[in-house]
Amino acid sequence: MNGLRKNAGVLRRVLDLLDHAIALPARPLGRGVLHACEIVGGMSVLQIDILRAMVPPSFDYDETLSQLHKVGVRSLPVVTLTAFFVGALMLIQTGNFVRSTGATAMVGWATGLSIFAEVGPVLIGLMFSGRVGANNTAELGTMTITEQVDALRVLGIDPIRYLVVPRFISMILMLFLLTCIGDLCAIIGAALACQAILGIDIRVFWQGLVQGHLLGEFVMGLVKGTLFGGAVAIVSCHWGLRVQGGAVGVGRSVNNSVVTSAIAIFVVNFLVTTLWM
Amino acid sequence: MEAAAELQSIVKTLSGTRVLEGVSLSLARGRVHALVGPGGSGKTLILKTLCTLLPPDDGKVVLFGEQVNFDDQDGLRHLRSRIGVQFQNLALFDFLAVRDNVAFPLEAGTSVRPKVEVDGLVQSILDDVRLHDSGTLEIQELSGGMQRRVAVARAAVSDADLLVFDDPSGGLDPVTTSRIFALIAGIHASRGNTVIIVSHDIDRLARVCSDFHVVDSGQVIFSGTLADGRVHPDMRVRTFLDVPDERP
Repeated sequence: MNGLRKNAGVLRRVLDLLDHAIALPARPLGRGVLHACEIVGGMSVLQIDILRAMVPPSFDYDETLSQLHKVGVRSLPVVTLTAFFVGALMLIQTGNFVRSTGATAMVGWATGLSIFAEVGPVLIGLMFSGRVGANNTAELGTMTITEQVDALRVLGIDPIRYLVVPRFISMILMLFLLTCIGDLCAIIGAALACQAILGIDIRVFWQGLVQGHLLGEFVMGLVKGTLFGGAVAIVSCHWGLRVQGGAVGVGRSVNNSVVTSAIAIFVVNFLVTTLWM
Repeated sequence: MEAAAELQSIVKTLSGTRVLEGVSLSLARGRVHALVGPGGSGKTLILKTLCTLLPPDDGKVVLFGEQVNFDDQDGLRHLRSRIGVQFQNLALFDFLAVRDNVAFPLEAGTSVRPKVEVDGLVQSILDDVRLHDSGTLEIQELSGGMQRRVAVARAAVSDADLLVFDDPSGGLDPVTTSRIFALIAGIHASRGNTVIIVSHDIDRLARVCSDFHVVDSGQVIFSGTLADGRVHPDMRVRTFLDVPDERP
C-alpha cells in the first residue's frame, strides 16, 4: 500500500513537471496566437463593415475628393522619385549580369520583368504604406482619443461611412494609378541609366522591353497595387480606430500599422504571384 | 413626472475594473439636472451611457420612453439625433473651421435645413458664446476657453430633446462661465428640453438646475433637490453639495 502511495506521489510530481514544461512556453504562444486572431478578426469585421457601407453607395463625396488629393497627388513626388532610382538600380544590377554573360539584348526584358511584376508594385506599396498608411492611422487615432469619432456617432454619422469608406476608395484608386506612374518612371530611370552608366545603347533596352511581351506582368503589377491599396487602407483604419491611451497609444498604433501593412503587402504579393503563375 | 432618460441598474467593467456599480438614474423630462461628484467617480461614463456611446454590461437604458437596443445601429442613429452633447475633451473636428463645427449637427443631421437658416442659427449661437467674428478661424487657432465655447455652441445649436454638457465651464473665466450657464438656462427656458450638466461649480449649478444627482465610486448616491441634498443623512452627499470650502 505504501509503495503504491509513493509511486502515485512520484507520478504526480512527474506530471506537474511535465505540465510546467509544456505550459510555460505554451502560454505566451497561445496568447500570441489569440492576439493575432483578434487582429485578423478585427480587420475582417472592418472589411465587412466597409463593404456594407458601400452598398448602396452613400458615402461623403467631398471627403472622398479631399482624400483622393491627399492620398494620391501628395504622394506623387515621393513615388516618382523612388521609382526612378529603383528603375535605374534594377538596370545596373541586371546590366552587370547580362553583360558578363554577353546577353545584352535581354537587359530591357529582365529589367522590365522585375519592375513590372515585383519591385515596382511592392516598393511603391511600401512607400505608400509608410507615407499614407502611417498618416492615416495617426489621423484616425487622434480623432479617436479626442472623442471626435464619438462626436460623429452622437451626431448620427456613421464613422465607417464618413471616415473609412472615402479612405478605402482613395487608397485603392490612387495606389493603382501610382503603380502605373511609378512603373513608367522606373522604366525611364532604367533607360537613362542604361545609356549613361552602362553605356548600352538605349534602343537595345527598348527593343528588349517591347519584344519581351510583358503585358501580363504589367497587369499583374497593377492588380497587386490595387490589392495593396485595399490592404493598407484596412490595416491603417483598423489600427487608427482602436487606439487607446493617449499620445503613447497613437505612436504604438502607427508602429503596428506600418509593420502590419508591410506584412500584408508581402502576403498579398505572394498570393497573387502564386495564383497568377 | 415622465422621464426623458433613465438608467436602470447599469453595470460596466473596463479593463477588469468595475467602473459603474448598478447605476440607476432618472432624468425628469423638461428639467435641468446637475450631475456632481468627485473626479473619477464615473460621471463622464454615466453621460456616455446616456448618449448610447457606452453599451452597459448589465442593466437597461431607456431614452424618450424607448429601451435602447445597442445592436440596432439605425435605432441608435435615430435616438442620437435627439441628443446634443458637449464632450469633456470637446471633440471638435479639427479638419473644420469654427462655423462648420457649429453647423455640423444642422447640416449632417437627418433633417436638411436651408443654408440661410443654418447660417442664421450658427451666427446667433456664436453671438451668445461671444465668438461672433471667429467663424472662419480654424480650431487650432483658438485658445482652450474659446474651444470650449465652440463645443457648447455645437451641442446647443440643434433642437435636441436632451442636452448633455460635460464640464461646460472648465478653464473658463468667471464672466464667460456665467454667460455659458445663462445661455444654457436661456435655451432650456425657450425650448423646454431636458438638460444634464456635469460641473464642480455648485453655486452656478444651483442657479440653473432644479435636480441634483450625486455620484460616488460608480454609484448614484443621491437624487433630489439641492435643499434636500444639503440635509441628507449621507455625509458624502452633504459634503459635496454644501458650502464650497467644505467640499473635497
